[in-house]
Amino acid sequence: MGSRYLLRRVATACFTIVMIVVLNFVLFRAMPGSPERILLGRMPGVTAEVLAQTRARWGLDKPLFPDQFVAYLNSTAQGDLGFSYAARGRPVTEVLAQHLGPTLLLFGLGEILAIVLGLTLGSYSGWKRGSPVDYVGNAISLILYSMPYFLLGMALLLIFSTGAGWFPTFGMLTAGATYDNPLDVALDLGGHLALPLATVALGLIGQYAILMRSSVVETLSEDYVTTARAMGFRDDRVLRRHALPNAMLPTVTLVAINLGYVVAGAITVEVVFNWPGLGTLTVDALASRDYPVLQGVFLLLSVAVVFANLGADLLYGVLDPRVRT
Amino acid sequence: MRLSLRAKVARPVAALLLTALVLLPSALPASAADPLILRVGTGQKLATLNPWHSITVADYEIFQLQYEMLVSFGQNLEPVAGFADKWESSSDKMTHTFHIREGMVWSDGEPATCEDARWTYQFVLDAVASETGYVGSGYLEPYLMNAGLKSVTCTDPQTLVVATEFPTTLLTQAYVPILPKHIWSKYTMEQIGNADAKGFFANEPPVVGSGPYTAVQWEPGQFIRFARNDKYWGKRGVPDEIIFQTFSDPVSMVPALKSGELDYVRGIGADQFDALKTEPNIKTVEGFSNGYTYLSFNTRGNQKGYQGSTSALADVKFRDALGYAIDHQKLVDAVFNGHAVPGTTHVPPYHVKWHVEPATPRTFDIAEANRRLDAAGYARNAAGNRVDKEGKEIVLRLTWPDSEAGHSTDAQFIQGWFKELGIGVDAFVTEEAKLSADLLGPEAGGPANWDMYMWGWTGDPDPMSLLSFFTTDNIKSGTNDAFFSNARYDELFKLQQRATDEVQRHAYIDEMQQIFYDAAAYSILYYDSELHAYRTDKFGGWTSQPPDSGTPLFGYGYPGYLALTNAALASPSPSAAPSAAAPSASAGAATPAPSGGGTGTPASGDSGMLILLAVVAVVAVVVVGLVLARRRSGSSQEEE
Repeated sequence: MGSRYLLRRVATACFTIVMIVVLNFVLFRAMPGSPERILLGRMPGVTAEVLAQTRARWGLDKPLFPDQFVAYLNSTAQGDLGFSYAARGRPVTEVLAQHLGPTLLLFGLGEILAIVLGLTLGSYSGWKRGSPVDYVGNAISLILYSMPYFLLGMALLLIFSTGAGWFPTFGMLTAGATYDNPLDVALDLGGHLALPLATVALGLIGQYAILMRSSVVETLSEDYVTTARAMGFRDDRVLRRHALPNAMLPTVTLVAINLGYVVAGAITVEVVFNWPGLGTLTVDALASRDYPVLQGVFLLLSVAVVFANLGADLLYGVLDPRVRT
Repeated sequence: MRLSLRAKVARPVAALLLTALVLLPSALPASAADPLILRVGTGQKLATLNPWHSITVADYEIFQLQYEMLVSFGQNLEPVAGFADKWESSSDKMTHTFHIREGMVWSDGEPATCEDARWTYQFVLDAVASETGYVGSGYLEPYLMNAGLKSVTCTDPQTLVVATEFPTTLLTQAYVPILPKHIWSKYTMEQIGNADAKGFFANEPPVVGSGPYTAVQWEPGQFIRFARNDKYWGKRGVPDEIIFQTFSDPVSMVPALKSGELDYVRGIGADQFDALKTEPNIKTVEGFSNGYTYLSFNTRGNQKGYQGSTSALADVKFRDALGYAIDHQKLVDAVFNGHAVPGTTHVPPYHVKWHVEPATPRTFDIAEANRRLDAAGYARNAAGNRVDKEGKEIVLRLTWPDSEAGHSTDAQFIQGWFKELGIGVDAFVTEEAKLSADLLGPEAGGPANWDMYMWGWTGDPDPMSLLSFFTTDNIKSGTNDAFFSNARYDELFKLQQRATDEVQRHAYIDEMQQIFYDAAAYSILYYDSELHAYRTDKFGGWTSQPPDSGTPLFGYGYPGYLALTNAALASPSPSAAPSAAAPSASAGAATPAPSGGGTGTPASGDSGMLILLAVVAVVAVVVVGLVLARRRSGSSQEEE
């Protein structure tokens, strides 16, 4: 049964990715306007001949189907996503790779922090329902959860950067800085990372804590918890061994799906702090009509979401044997 | 007192955290031995180090710091020594001799000679003669071709002789960077001009140049770092390094300028610009931009091959009347908080020497517009709406590219004013690439499917390009998007191009502005302003180019960079800087600025308020939470 479940999940994911690749092609071709005009911009003195030349150079003179479509599938399969219009002469894959690292760093750390703190806060609140910690924690969680990233980011920026002057306001490392040792790099990175990381983590903590709390509260009313208590187990043992494993289930799904949306969430935080990740790249690509890069970001994003879902499904299967059938 | 296990762990952790908090910030500010860096923020992307691909102002700024032009631009935009130190033209102004400075070397130590200049100019000639007719983005060649470049030779290593097709004085304004032949000649035109060609020459750092600074580091999407070129022939710049930092959202530049992480910003919004005026140690500067925003009319209306919605558009009397219903000052106030100049002719006032006001300007007057429409035969129907000569109600489409979102405000005003004339306006935004294609007339293979649209043009140091857009020839190329065609204008264009006497050329250009204005093919809505701001506590000597109407950086050439001084050395009396920087004393008095320090700026009124609000909010949440918890536990006890 186990391998069947696995196969079905993987097959679904693969099919989704193929559909995404096709959709990506159709979507960007369905856009109004002609690509050669974007390429040439408002270049003075563009003649019909120049336009024809440009079309030929980019293969736009060939029919959309099958020629352009086949060429697209071919190169996508080979990992060739074309060239960025804006970053002249750079392949899209290179541009994406360059921006992926900072985003993974920021959101990877953010997720870890949020998972640890959010789940701890949530389970504690749920366990001690009605306590001061629960009320205050819940209120703060709600506020953080409902606050858009950019607002939270701007508030932190105003208070701790321009206000107190503790942290730099933008970037990942001080441009042009020279470092004597790795510790200097870490300190510089840490200073730049602090506020964006706090923004991401705080936003997610709220979300995770609320879900975890309600999940724990629900589990505590289950018969098996009452039974465990009746058997005289200590409180923290009941919580850790009996309640938490079951309460974790919905949270795992949320966390896994969230991982897929890391890049999407990145946009506003990264723009506020001018963090050189995929979020700022997306905004820049939109502004400069860099369609090849946008296409690449779309592909990366959707594949990430598919994989995160697949991961959630599989993990769920491990955690809860009931779904494996 | 016995400590619980939890407290045993918690105390050292808290101590560690506190130490980290104290240490972190102190690691950030630069120590005294560090290089003096000028940090410049721009909302524009830093897209290329290969000048043939330059498009934006930021791109141009990047190349002109590291490559000399044959003749450069001074503080007043006058021609000054660049790659050449002397130049002269023959009496017929068709042969031009440039003397290349002796003993000059590139930043890598190779000699810089006439051959480098010859190679660069010949490269342009070859590009224009090639199959595509341009190289890279195609922005640089016209500087030489508009001057009639015909041939270029070196008679000796120090003497460049340029022959032109017609008499010209424009070669001293040619915005073409002279490139080191020993680097660039290793690549084919395809590798230099085509960004996706195999072996494309991106000109990665370290760049070999002849200007005062050369690029040594490029983090695409983030910044380009320049170091002083010690081989540069002229004055030694004060900053050791210059870093151009790009921002996805220009708003983010403002806190960085306030905190001292940036020394100069270009391209901030009008609101932030006004807010920065009261900041300590920050000075704002509003310069004329060399360009304008326009409302273009489809002057061919619905003639064969053109898809304008009404024949009225082709009638100059109709367009002239509409001109009286546009309140340019109102647009400037509403869109830019007054930081722009109401528009008239198509040579902006940035060109102090060439701009003229029209003899009979169309001043805002709805009644006058109505009178003119009546007189031109556009009567109102029973519903009060104007009808064209075919009896069809006039409803004009008004659009603008999605890249210029701010135009929606302009559109609302125009809609309101035209309504008072009995003319409906259907306003909508169009995707930029689609708009570019819709605009083209049948001469350029397009549908001309539009009535009115808004966009902008940017000029060069010489008004030549701005004038050239509207010759009849350029209907075919698409720059003449209003399909304006006037035989006298075309003739004048050629005359001014060949005019070697400035007074004479002035007369031609005056007449061209007047003709274009009278034809009402464009309504120049406003001349946008360049809104910049800079800090005065690190660098002094900020000088605008030109001094009374320009900005210190992002001009032509690089005089603004070389004029900078080290503020720490320049003003021993600390009172000098604040008095120059903060014209309004009220804000400064409330929060006195600490001198020196440099770790950070004090909380200004805004952020102080925010901190207070944040603290109040947190306390409120805690208190409410506690009260609720108490009530809850109280009630649960009662239940028990």
